[in-house]
Amino acid sequence: MIQVQHLSKTYEDLRRGRFRAVDRVSFTVQPGEIFGLLGPNGAGKTTVLRILSTVLRPTSGIATIDGYDVAHEPAEVRRRIGFVSNNTAIYDRMTAWEMVEYFGRLHGMSKTILESRLEKLFEQLRMNEFRDVPGGKMSTGMRQKVSIARALVHDPPVLIFDEATLGLDVLVARNLLGVIRELREAGKCLIFSTHIMSEVERLCDRIAIMHQGRILDSGTLDELTQRHQETDFEELFFSLLSSHENAVQTTEDYALEMGVVQ
Amino acid sequence: MRAGRPRLGAITLIYAREMRDQLRDRRTLFTIAVLPMLLYPLVGMLLLQIAQFTRQHTISVCVIGVEHVTEDAQVPGADGLVSPLLVVTDEEDPDLDGSRVHPLGVSETTPYRFPETLWDSESTIDVFAYRASELARSGDLAERAQQWVRDQVFDCVVCVNQPLGVNAGDLSVEELEAQAASVGVYYNVASDQSMVAKDRTVSILNRWRGTWVRSRLADAGVELSVLDPFKIEDCDIAPERTREAAFWSKLLPFIMLVWAMTGAFYPAIDLVAGEKERGTLETLLCSPALREEIVWGKLGAVMTFSMMTAILNAASMLVTSSFVFNQIGVGPGGTSMGAPPLIPMLWLLVALVPLSALFSALALAVAAMARSSKEGQYYLMPLMMVTLPLVLLPMLPGTTLNLGTSLIPVTGMFLLVRSLVEGQHFEAIAFLPMVAVVTSICLYMATRWAKRQFESESVLFGDGDQWELGAWMRHLWRDRQRAATPTIAFGCGAVILVALFFGKLAVTEMPDTFGGIAKLVFLPQFGLILAPTLLMATMMTTSLKTSLRLNAVNWRVWSLVCVLAFMLHPIYMQLAGFIGEMYPLSPQALEAMRPFGEHIASAPWLSVILLMAVVPAICEELAFRGFIFGGLVRNNSPVRAILVTAFMFGISHGVLQQSISATFMGVLLGWVALRTGSVLPGILIHFGNNALSVSLNRIADLKIPGLQNLITVDAVSQAPQYHPIWTGCALFVSVACLIALYRITADLDAMENNDVLADRLISDQPVRDPSLKQYAS
Repeated sequence: MIQVQHLSKTYEDLRRGRFRAVDRVSFTVQPGEIFGLLGPNGAGKTTVLRILSTVLRPTSGIATIDGYDVAHEPAEVRRRIGFVSNNTAIYDRMTAWEMVEYFGRLHGMSKTILESRLEKLFEQLRMNEFRDVPGGKMSTGMRQKVSIARALVHDPPVLIFDEATLGLDVLVARNLLGVIRELREAGKCLIFSTHIMSEVERLCDRIAIMHQGRILDSGTLDELTQRHQETDFEELFFSLLSSHENAVQTTEDYALEMGVVQ
Repeated sequence: MRAGRPRLGAITLIYAREMRDQLRDRRTLFTIAVLPMLLYPLVGMLLLQIAQFTRQHTISVCVIGVEHVTEDAQVPGADGLVSPLLVVTDEEDPDLDGSRVHPLGVSETTPYRFPETLWDSESTIDVFAYRASELARSGDLAERAQQWVRDQVFDCVVCVNQPLGVNAGDLSVEELEAQAASVGVYYNVASDQSMVAKDRTVSILNRWRGTWVRSRLADAGVELSVLDPFKIEDCDIAPERTREAAFWSKLLPFIMLVWAMTGAFYPAIDLVAGEKERGTLETLLCSPALREEIVWGKLGAVMTFSMMTAILNAASMLVTSSFVFNQIGVGPGGTSMGAPPLIPMLWLLVALVPLSALFSALALAVAAMARSSKEGQYYLMPLMMVTLPLVLLPMLPGTTLNLGTSLIPVTGMFLLVRSLVEGQHFEAIAFLPMVAVVTSICLYMATRWAKRQFESESVLFGDGDQWELGAWMRHLWRDRQRAATPTIAFGCGAVILVALFFGKLAVTEMPDTFGGIAKLVFLPQFGLILAPTLLMATMMTTSLKTSLRLNAVNWRVWSLVCVLAFMLHPIYMQLAGFIGEMYPLSPQALEAMRPFGEHIASAPWLSVILLMAVVPAICEELAFRGFIFGGLVRNNSPVRAILVTAFMFGISHGVLQQSISATFMGVLLGWVALRTGSVLPGILIHFGNNALSVSLNRIADLKIPGLQNLITVDAVSQAPQYHPIWTGCALFVSVACLIALYRITADLDAMENNDVLADRLISDQPVRDPSLKQYAS
């Protein structure tokens, strides 16, 4: 469903010069599967997901969703994805109902289909009590629900959650994870980025650990623990990160020693 | 459904949402609807109040030397026609407040006033009077008067320190002249109140002097009619409607345009920068709405608000002003102003549509650069500074609709509307095509810019990194590339233009020797154009050859370029002549440039060529078509690179007429630079063009038999000209050369010269075609 091959993205940055936010990342995600992107802040998770949701163009590499290239057929890709970002972006001066309806109509849904779809979604996500509340007056939990409803309104086969649980209280976050599980049961293809390890452990079928723009390792939880002989996932994560940093440091030192100018 | 084509449905959907969103925003509604409806009536009321205040406010005038100007001093026997400047009020007069407390408690307690004949207005003047002789005892009169005005004891002090000729009816003319009696009027220009008092006092004194002159002349037996041999009668033939139209057609478009600008900006900030700040823009961007649909929808909403603001403001102002003007009787020529004629005002509404579309597109594009609403506010000022001159220009007296002004964006439209409002329909229709074309081009460019902004990642997702000088300098040094980056190129252009501007200011007078002229050309060329370019090329890039585009080209290109260098000149002359007709040089400017031309004509030919052709060709080309173009072209938009360098090149010429022709030349040189991937052909063409320009006179003077038909000397202006047939041939040959150049360089692209390609690929753009990857690494 989602195929990513050697995806790279570089930026010009004042402090760091040319900066690779994403460095030759590859992975695939199947329908009915939750894929977790785990990494510390600044690892490049958001950039990968933004490329998948077509708002950024990759510098090199190929990413396809349902066979459509994100760089060349963005319109087709957008029809097939729902994107929930970390900053619960909804319009302040629109009610929950208007907001979801607006995006449904942008997807070209007919009025009758949209109506029934909205009723179903609002029921499913228990949003009926605030359907006429404007965005500016909603709590963070409500906003996140509206965001999810907005992403689900056209029933896309692929859903992208970018640090969706950030800033939510335990109750709402738990609720959200429940929704994500339900979506997996419905056969959706889900990609989920976070820096919270417990969420990954509980939720994800397969995991990729990202650091400094690279995927250090990926696989199911069992595969990872076996491969690194570490039962505690948190320990595994840290050892991966630190061994990567050491490796980078050594190559840099080596380069300096050899007098190679980078 | 094909992707990539904007759908009307989606655009209206986005438009409807943006409109609803803005209408729900109380701040927007307030600025756009409530403020104009309240503002003008409030300002009108304030104006009325002020008008009443100035009319009723009592000014205080002090007269020193009262003994010289009152009835007491009247010389017996003087004619009854002359009344004294001051009269003593009757104690019983109930109209005047006789018991006014004297501010200083000295001297006279008798209230004085100006006689009715001199001052018949009902506005009140408090007159205080002192005898000069009394005051003189405690110090200098002038000093005292100054001090009183300075301390605001009185608004104005009139000092009469000797008997005036007015009263000396028996003095002879010689005696009067010797005496040269004067009346000092002391006032403070920094105080409005004092200025009003001074104006009134002076008019009273003038009138008084008038009566005196009249009486003296009557005494001498002169008919009084000699003073006023004839009367001037004003006959304005314009009907009242046109007069009003003339007034409103100047004021109203200005008000509407300024409000259209303001009305576009605030919604634009909220709809782009505000959405970016809240994160909703990202949501919208990954919805199926195309970037173009988003831009059109938002543009529509911004435009609606821009027009609504303009119309509401204009309407509110009209209603209020027609009341206020009637009340205070202010208007052109003292007549009271009614509402403007309504039908011509409809033209204003028609013109408002494209102009507010233009402002909206500009505002949208500018607002897209801001990361937050707050940041967006900062961009309002620069945008205003750029567009305001275009709106102010038609307000200047004497600006009329002609070919030149009709080609200036915004100004042309403004003037067109004005002539429509004034009923000059024929004139307006004659210039309509020009205005329409210019406005459409501007509109197209502005919307294109807005669209590009929405397609640019760095604009939409630019990180909120704090800009630091140190980090930036380190970045410039550390990340030096083979050629300049677009930013460096822009910076170089800006440095050159600013330096040239100040350099021009430093030149106060035209030199009168050839040496002086040489200095005047050499210094800017080397010091202000070439030096910054070379400095930036060595400091900020790693390769002088690449950054200045000093690439070799093959012999086929060279041969074509040689022909072009020779054949482009007649076309350039034709163009320059055409521009000269459209925007004629003022006689003063021509006069100022005459010695320049004479020195050039009399100097040795070789040195003129060196000075006027070789040096500018090398310096200007290396800067504009070399370094700056080389940086800009890497932005993956060769058209913009050509246009921007041509524009900079044009501005660097200083004189408007030269700038315009240089800009056209710049476009051509830019295209050649793009196709050949080198600066060298441009240098040759530039050299050829300049060399022919300065030596055409000499060629004509040689009187070579065959050439005489090609180059003729105009009998009137003494300027050499090409024969029209030769110009036609040159046009034909040049076009053929350019086509040939295009075809040759099409091969070069793919085969031997990858410079053009490489230019684009070094920059940070995604590689689209996998086969080109080899160049990217």
